Amino acid sequence: MRKVAYYKGCLASLSAKELDSATQALAPKVGLELIELESVTCCGAGDIHEAEPDYYLHLNARILSYAAAEGVDTLLTVCNVCTLNLRQANFMLLGDTELRARVNENLVAVGVPAYEQDVDVRHLLWEIAEGEGYELLKGAAHKGLKGLKIAPFYGCQILRPSKIQGFEDPDRPWSLERIIQACGGEPVDYPAKIKCCGFPIIQAREETALSELIQPIEQAYEAGADAIVTPCPLCHLSLDAWQSKLKKSTGRDFNMPILHLSQLVGVAAGLTESELKFKRHVVSVKPVLEKLEA
Amino acid sequence: MEATHDVLVVGAGCAGMRAAIEAHDAGADVGVISKLHPTRSHSGAAEGGINAALGNAAEDSPEIHAFDTVKGSDYLGDQDAIEIFTREAPGDIYQLEHWGAFFSRREDGKLAQRPFGAAGSPRTVFAADITGHVLIQVLYEQLVKRDITVYEEYFAWKLVENDGRCQGVICWDLLNGGLKTVGGKTVVLATGGQGRIYRTTTNAYACTGDGAAMALRLGLPLKDMEFMQFHPTTLYPTGILLTEGCRGEGAYLINSEGERFMKRYAPNAMELASRDVVSRSEQTEIDAGRGINGSVMLDMRHLGAERIIERLPGSRELSMTFAGVDPIYDPVPVRPGAHYHMGGVETGNDGETELTGLYAAGEVACVSVHGANRLGGNSLMETITFGRRAGRAAAEWALSNTTVDVPRSAEADAERELKALLDVSSGERAWQIRNDLGTSMLENFGVFRRDEQMTTQVEIIAGLRERYKRGVVVEDKGEVFNSDLTQAIELGNMLDLAACMLQAGVARKESRGAHARPYDYPDRDDENFMKHSISRWVDGGPELSWKDVRYTKYDPMERKY
Amino acid sequence: MQVGLKIWRFNSRTGERELQEYEIAAPEEATLLDCLDIVKDQHDGTLAYRKSCRMMICGSCGMRMDGAAVLACKMRMYDIAQSGHVPVISAMGNLPIVKDLVVDMDPFWQKFNSVNPYLQPGYEEPPDGKEHVISQQRMNVVHKEALCINCGCCVSECNAMEADPMFTGPQALAKAMRFVGDPRDGQKLARLEKLNGEHGIWECTRCYFCNERCPKGVDPRDAIAKLGAESMKEGIDRDMGAKHAKWFVTSARTTGWLRETELVPKTQGIVSAIKQTRFALDLARKGKVPPPFPPHVAKDVREARRLHDLVRDQGRNGFAGIVQGEHALARLAHGHSGTETLEEIYDRPGAYHRPFIADEEADV
Repeated sequence: MRKVAYYKGCLASLSAKELDSATQALAPKVGLELIELESVTCCGAGDIHEAEPDYYLHLNARILSYAAAEGVDTLLTVCNVCTLNLRQANFMLLGDTELRARVNENLVAVGVPAYEQDVDVRHLLWEIAEGEGYELLKGAAHKGLKGLKIAPFYGCQILRPSKIQGFEDPDRPWSLERIIQACGGEPVDYPAKIKCCGFPIIQAREETALSELIQPIEQAYEAGADAIVTPCPLCHLSLDAWQSKLKKSTGRDFNMPILHLSQLVGVAAGLTESELKFKRHVVSVKPVLEKLEA
Repeated sequence: MEATHDVLVVGAGCAGMRAAIEAHDAGADVGVISKLHPTRSHSGAAEGGINAALGNAAEDSPEIHAFDTVKGSDYLGDQDAIEIFTREAPGDIYQLEHWGAFFSRREDGKLAQRPFGAAGSPRTVFAADITGHVLIQVLYEQLVKRDITVYEEYFAWKLVENDGRCQGVICWDLLNGGLKTVGGKTVVLATGGQGRIYRTTTNAYACTGDGAAMALRLGLPLKDMEFMQFHPTTLYPTGILLTEGCRGEGAYLINSEGERFMKRYAPNAMELASRDVVSRSEQTEIDAGRGINGSVMLDMRHLGAERIIERLPGSRELSMTFAGVDPIYDPVPVRPGAHYHMGGVETGNDGETELTGLYAAGEVACVSVHGANRLGGNSLMETITFGRRAGRAAAEWALSNTTVDVPRSAEADAERELKALLDVSSGERAWQIRNDLGTSMLENFGVFRRDEQMTTQVEIIAGLRERYKRGVVVEDKGEVFNSDLTQAIELGNMLDLAACMLQAGVARKESRGAHARPYDYPDRDDENFMKHSISRWVDGGPELSWKDVRYTKYDPMERKY
Repeated sequence: MQVGLKIWRFNSRTGERELQEYEIAAPEEATLLDCLDIVKDQHDGTLAYRKSCRMMICGSCGMRMDGAAVLACKMRMYDIAQSGHVPVISAMGNLPIVKDLVVDMDPFWQKFNSVNPYLQPGYEEPPDGKEHVISQQRMNVVHKEALCINCGCCVSECNAMEADPMFTGPQALAKAMRFVGDPRDGQKLARLEKLNGEHGIWECTRCYFCNERCPKGVDPRDAIAKLGAESMKEGIDRDMGAKHAKWFVTSARTTGWLRETELVPKTQGIVSAIKQTRFALDLARKGKVPPPFPPHVAKDVREARRLHDLVRDQGRNGFAGIVQGEHALARLAHGHSGTETLEEIYDRPGAYHRPFIADEEADV
């Protein structure tokens, strides 16, 4: 078991509790011992970066510092946006000793330990798409996803900017497909899998956001997908919860179930409904589960 | 006619845009024709900087700048023009800064200045190594601010002469197709250079000498056509420019043994001798077998990563992309490459040409500030200072209530000629002739010039012109974005200019600046050749004459660096 | 080498599209642009594309390769050709196609023009007529934005512009930042006001395609964030996007975690929020609307609050807060650690000769 600091972020703490629950249940099966960070806050979701960027940097430095204080070298995330915000702040600090010194001084002034020992911020997706995590996943996914056609939806910030994320080719990503296959499912390909779900502007510019949102859902639907899987709870929220709004604007009812990455692997690994909490989804996941049982 | 303007500027690089801004500010209604969007112009590819004696980095003055420029020109520059140039340059730089140009700064917040070749003081103002880009942007911004009409992607084809005046331009509208005539009470040519005559060159595909060729066909004199500058540091194998700023920042030139060979050719200035000297030294090393793949090495390793990334990021990017070499770790293979044409349409100090109403500025023009060899950083400055002067003069003339009249016959002639071009259905394609021209020019009219090679080249060009006259096949017969057509026209322009270059080159029986004849005339001959060559198009071919250099106070002396 | 290309042709007269395949011989150093030249010269003179400098500075040759916007002159083809892959070449996105690989840039330039892309001087001319005296550090605020070559690669893949063609878009917004951040400009507030309009900065959907595609490292998305941060610093925060962003700050410093349930009314206002009631009730049934009371409070949230106040007083918010990280982030782009000494570089295996001057004993 490898110990990693676990940063679940806002959504998995709140409206997407099912993501936290599924991740906690899945982790030991893929060789991860999660040390949940307690004294941490929101990463700012890109919003604080745009509202008060210096505060964004300090908030994230504080998270990194508490992760480092656990004596681990990896901070595990389960959200695209958390991953980008934390990695960006981390690179800003690692690459500039002066800046890091100033931030540390501020941290210490408010009672936070200085961020001294470097940590690497990694998304769960990357931990299980290759290496030991992947090998364990293959063994754990014994129940399989046989017969299911799954549309991978990456979203934006797990891929771009690649100079900060850098795990895979942002135009030809492979990690989700590999995991779907390892779970015995059939990945469905469609162009919008690397595009935006509209979430960041879904409140401020709903119409524009919905024009984005419809693309992956419609394309996955037309490619015959049984469900979409995403590594990001924000993408999940817009794909799942806002899906009903598409009906109003387009007259089409896609009823496309949306799974968190941890849930998809969790299903294949035989986790229970109490751990996966599909009841919390707006679009029912039932048809997928029934197809699997059949 | 599409439209008429008081002042019609042809070309939208630094000189053209600067002329347009000045003419506008002088009260003229201005139109700008360009075969590219203005920010695509090749001025934007200039890297190292722009010279003005601001004296920010060390003691300097317009007089010292003038002395360096006259000496650099190998005493072929017109000294009155050079004195105007160096005197007005500082004010022009300050104006660019006030317009918002993003120049690099010193510790004290003033404009930084770097050393450049053959300059007695660090006087090259710069923006890292993308100075041209910064200037093109700021000038275009000023164009937008003034809402000046730009005929984008209009390919200028023919100057209209009527009633003893230049009164407009007939263009091919690239985007929409069709011939369009734009009238102007005065016309300013600012079409840039013609480096594409050579197979490997630092120049963009667009640099095909269109303006000089149009003027030539109207019977106007071109000056100093034999002087093509070979830049010492162009990337192997593509010919892409690495700025002199690399050496300005301290880079070495080394041969296949690692020796800083410039010590043997220019013991004081070393790598920062004038361009003609450095290019000849490199070629001598390469010819003596001390090169690698026909190149020498530009070594920046000792500058360190920080300085390379801060001051020369573009050069690093170009080296990595086009030569696969990171200059932080390895020297970059470079060789002399065709870069800048000192010659061009003969003008006076206000850009005026022999034809009333026609002006020229920038690389297309020959005032002459550069003489036989241009100093690095002087060409961007020339585009600004003389672009401004030409724009001002063109506006003043145009505002004296002149009317514009383009005879219908001129347009009809162009229509007929266009149809003939498009009607050619069998024969060869333009690229074959273009490649033969480029390869042979590089072979026979390069850094060192042999009499027999030049004679051969005269015949080769005659043959290529003959082939061109038989007709080249334009496969694209369509209207929309027919670059097949414009490339065929560009080839015709380059062939005529090459003929002028060679005729002048053969006739100049001396070595001066970029014209080096070590095998038969190794020395400068001020008695017979401190003169400009003048080429005119007469009866379908070039005709040569000579004209005295304008002299003020700088006596010729031996050039040593 | 042999290079295969599939090119989407577009006939401007008939409006027909056709995927044509070409097989050409090209030198090993050839770029995509070189290959297109070979196609045009030797195979099909009717192929249309823009080009000029062929050295990544004029911005003419933006086009798509396998769906991603690139500068054709920057794409070396050797590895692709060796792999046997036949890339698909097409015109850039989000702009109307004129012919083959040529797009109509007019909408691009209209947006460019819409941000008043020129300095509106805010200072008296220096009394001596010379340059304004400004530190390089201060000018570096707009260093990245000044690199833009107007190629359109960022616009090509902008997800927000695809969804709403009226969006001002990454290039024009980066250009706007070029002047908002320039200390010589006197219209910062007026510019920011305008950029906070309906199709301005808050319509950016943060897809980061612009940063990914930009061939010059401008990072337009970061420029947009700088404009947002500077707007907020100047108190220009009436847009729903700004209110949305602000609520995250409030949440972080009060409870530590996002106060999700209050986000909608705080962003859209009470009236709009009520219109969303039915939608919200549907979500509530699934636990997607966590009850705001009792609040979910992070442990030691006092630290986050004190940190906020401390940092606010240090005055590094606004664009400065983003610019301060650029030096470090640039290292990622440079792919260079900068730690070796010159001796180590000279002594690397296979290193080129050390430079020396003949007749002088010591190394130079």
